[in-house]
Amino acid sequence: MKLNNEEINRYSRHLTLPEVGMAGQLKMKEAKVLMIGAGGLGSPLGMYLGAVGVGKLGLVDFDVVDHTNLHRQIAHASADEGRSKVDSLRDTILAGNPNIEVEVYNIRLERKNVLELFHQYDIIADGSDNFETRYLINDAAYFTKKPLVSASIFRFQGQITIFAPKSGGPCYRCLYSEPPPAALVPS
Amino acid sequence: MLPGVVGLIQATEIIKLILEDGIPLIGRLLLYDAMKMKFKEVRVRKDPECALCGEHPSVTELVDYQAFCDIHLPGPVPPIDINEDLYELSPQEFKTAIEQDPSAVLVDVRERFEWDICRIDGARLLPLSKFDPDTCGLDPESSIYLYCYMGKRSMLALKELKRAGFNNLKNLTGGIDLWAVEVDSDMPRY
Repeated sequence: MKLNNEEINRYSRHLTLPEVGMAGQLKMKEAKVLMIGAGGLGSPLGMYLGAVGVGKLGLVDFDVVDHTNLHRQIAHASADEGRSKVDSLRDTILAGNPNIEVEVYNIRLERKNVLELFHQYDIIADGSDNFETRYLINDAAYFTKKPLVSASIFRFQGQITIFAPKSGGPCYRCLYSEPPPAALVPS
Repeated sequence: MLPGVVGLIQATEIIKLILEDGIPLIGRLLLYDAMKMKFKEVRVRKDPECALCGEHPSVTELVDYQAFCDIHLPGPVPPIDINEDLYELSPQEFKTAIEQDPSAVLVDVRERFEWDICRIDGARLLPLSKFDPDTCGLDPESSIYLYCYMGKRSMLALKELKRAGFNNLKNLTGGIDLWAVEVDSDMPRY
């Protein structure tokens, strides 16, 4: 895999950083990241991963852009209202960097489709918004041996960690062996 | 703005994993509090008893996550079983009923922050989180018209009142959200 001249110029400030360099930029180009959620977290995540040159991004979300999303899901513009979130985010990412590949999955992540999807990627990014999906993603990432970069937000607080049991770290279930009772789950 | 900060930390960690450089956030849970503008780090460890990645896992394949997450608080008593349809009024029916019923008492069971966004004129606020039929000051002889955001919470309150001996009860179907669509177009939706 090689960078073309436009890419060399585009990523020149990376290429001159010893910690990145040509080798690092090529690693990014070869990397495949699957993002679950194309909303509040997925917007900045996808826009930056695309801009810095991650070669392939997969976007999973079944939702459509709603008026009440616009104030925080910054990849979606007013004109995107009613469109699928994955399509809207893909367009924003590609407008920023057309060199990368973006695959969209306008689906609900489920037991029957999750493993096949995870197998096609190197890293899983969880920006989902419910406990069912979090446990599903955690288990599927464990079974497919993929590192899971997990983020969640609630009101004014955020949590970020990497679940990589194969590297000695915990998984989501090590922290939360059971979901909170339904009555305590914020909707 | 919170998702921007958190999403970009997530992006940073992904790039570090790809570059295989730096110290990744494995075994560390980073907590960010925007109001206090504080970051806190908590060490998190693998649980040897973990059902998935522990020494004797019980989860060896994907499970039914809906069933797994559908656990309920061991509350004192579950809501009573009633035919909910008998108590439901459409926004237009609800409006007509409260205008024509002199003993009508309009009760909003949403939380105060929702009340501050919009409310139906003449309502009194009795948030479901603190709802108690015995101390709420409502008269069992009057007609109680309940509403919330979408109609679910007010139905729970209605069942509490029914259990406590109230008989004239009605629920706004679709809550104040549907009211804003079908009755009062000046009302903001949230």
